[in-house]
Amino acid sequence: MSIKALGDYDFPAKDRQEVYGDDQLVNVFWEGNMLFCAAACFRAPRAMRWADFKAKMIDPWASADPDYRPEAAVKWRKDDKPFAPKPEQTLAQLGIPHKGLVKFRTG
Amino acid sequence: MTETPAPRVRTVGIDVQDNDEARPIVEAIERDNPEATIRRMPGMLKVQVPREMVVRRTTVEEILGREWDTNEFQLSIISLVGNIAEWDEDEILIKWEH
Amino acid sequence: MAKASMRERYQLLTRDLDWNPSYVTEQQLYPHTRFEGIKIHDWDAWEDPFRLTVDAYCKYQMEKDKRLYAVLDSFAQGQGHLQVTDARYLNAIRLFLQGVTPLEYQAHRHFAYLGRHLNGPGARFACLCQSIDELRHTQTETHAISMYNKYYGGFHSFPKMHDRVWYLSVPKSFFDDGLSAGPFEFMTAISFSFEYFLTNLLFVPFMSGASFNGDLSTMSFGFSAQSDESRHMTLGLSVVKFILEQDPDNVPIMQDWIDKWFWRGYRLLGLVACMMDYFLPKKVMSWKEAFELYLEQQMLEGLFPDLAYYGIEPPRHVEQAIAEKQYLSSQVFWILYQFSHAASFTTTIPPKAEMDWLAEQYPDTFDSIYRPLFEKAERMAAEGNRFFFPGLPMLCQTCQIPMGFTEVGDPTATSFRSSQYQGERYNFCSDGCKWIFDREPWKYIQAWLPVHQIYQGNCGGATIPEVLAWYGIDAGVDNGEYATSPDAAQWAQWHQPVVAGG
Repeated sequence: MSIKALGDYDFPAKDRQEVYGDDQLVNVFWEGNMLFCAAACFRAPRAMRWADFKAKMIDPWASADPDYRPEAAVKWRKDDKPFAPKPEQTLAQLGIPHKGLVKFRTG
Repeated sequence: MTETPAPRVRTVGIDVQDNDEARPIVEAIERDNPEATIRRMPGMLKVQVPREMVVRRTTVEEILGREWDTNEFQLSIISLVGNIAEWDEDEILIKWEH
Repeated sequence: MAKASMRERYQLLTRDLDWNPSYVTEQQLYPHTRFEGIKIHDWDAWEDPFRLTVDAYCKYQMEKDKRLYAVLDSFAQGQGHLQVTDARYLNAIRLFLQGVTPLEYQAHRHFAYLGRHLNGPGARFACLCQSIDELRHTQTETHAISMYNKYYGGFHSFPKMHDRVWYLSVPKSFFDDGLSAGPFEFMTAISFSFEYFLTNLLFVPFMSGASFNGDLSTMSFGFSAQSDESRHMTLGLSVVKFILEQDPDNVPIMQDWIDKWFWRGYRLLGLVACMMDYFLPKKVMSWKEAFELYLEQQMLEGLFPDLAYYGIEPPRHVEQAIAEKQYLSSQVFWILYQFSHAASFTTTIPPKAEMDWLAEQYPDTFDSIYRPLFEKAERMAAEGNRFFFPGLPMLCQTCQIPMGFTEVGDPTATSFRSSQYQGERYNFCSDGCKWIFDREPWKYIQAWLPVHQIYQGNCGGATIPEVLAWYGIDAGVDNGEYATSPDAAQWAQWHQPVVAGG
């Protein structure tokens, strides 16, 4: 559909990655646990190691469910594609896009 | 309580306040629209008629016992289902067009 | 001299006061009504069934106000707030004041704009009356609800909160989407879709809910406003038919707008679904019942066969809304429950009797999916660990609601959709929201998403307390868990039985 507007209509995206500098937004979803109504949204450095992202962001969030055990988080996916993040890999190296979605299951 | 499935014939209708002002109008509608059904809900009356509904000034005046301006209907109406096909000094007609 | 009939007076005092400009072209005088591609050949074909002249308008509006303000005064003088079923009910009214009242004000302003910018005098006059009506609604809602602000939290600063607080970006962005559209889209969006097609799903729940729960003030406002709404509804239907009748080229444009605004309005009404099923101690009817009556029967089976004459079909994605009636209210409640620490209202798990009612209303989903969740939340609360979502949720780019919605056919499977636009990714809760974005991405990439704005540092700081301060929320008073709130404590105290004797 072509733009129908009065005058020029060309505005930047409010949440484009450059606004976050060296950081990005990452969404994390705990599949199969309906306690959390939605995925979480985190802001993290693109150069953050996966191990730190998991320990400092995902685990504290998921621990709001008293039944969560960090070691039980498995079956990682980026959107619907399985991936196996290594602790030393950064979010950028893992190819997690700005505003991307990561999913896991427990047990 | 779940409504039963809608009948084949489309109904039109109005929701009006359940008060002294509106009740004579509802009575007039019942007189002039023999197939009208009235459902009581909190603070309001839901009036439904198959196909079309007429509100006649003369009938309202008979029941109310005084002169009545069709514009006064505005003070009582809550909601309406259907098109206002006509609204003049003598009557208000609500129906679906097609 | 014979008195003019209603029809004649209307013609004389509205249409006949119009003129054709000789000093500028029609296009120069009305520069906003061509760019959307809508073709109007004859503005005189506009028919206003409410042939109200200004004198009649003023007379009846004044009468309505006199009656309403008498009730509001009486309510205030009689400590009417004590008659509501429970202080917990007031969360419904907080949502209304914060979410709906500011939209009335925006409608007032935009109808005034339309009252200038539409070519036809009949249309302009109808918009002028509606503009005044909407200001009346802003005022009467504020007055009706102000009594509660004297005694309960969560009612203060509602215009500021509307502009800043995360859940209020849902109604705010809905209306901003309309305000920033052209005049014909706005009228399709608001006059038709919101004020005709969907209106009963907004007003009846709130006003009947008020009536059932002893809220005389809000109920009286509701009945008083609804008589104005009947005019608005009629305007909505008139404008759609007028546009469709003017040129067949208008039909696909209108269909697209009807599709878009059904879904945007429907997602917004999720808040009402939650309110009806979870915030009212005394229930009127379930969301499912209201949806079946007002949308499926009255609209899809009543209105749309009428519109089929013009080639208009029921809105895209309506099938998903029909499927969701079985669980929408629970999904939205579950979102609001775990985020009320950051809201200007409180939430609580419903008592068992209410959960049993929900199980009856929603036999396919409540006991299998939601009751276990709520019972877990109750246990956590009893252990002093009342569950609140830590951090921030993933939001839908279009509707701006936390993405707690599910796939049709599986209410346990959260839906995720996404689109790429100019190298950036955007996320959506549903096919409907994605479709809306994909039609006009240049518009939605500008969305002020609360979660993202917090992360950009635009909302007072990086911590929840700083954000709440920026929101204007009085932590510990306006927000959180109902059962442990100051409102609940006050309520219990005011309703203690009087001790007899000395």
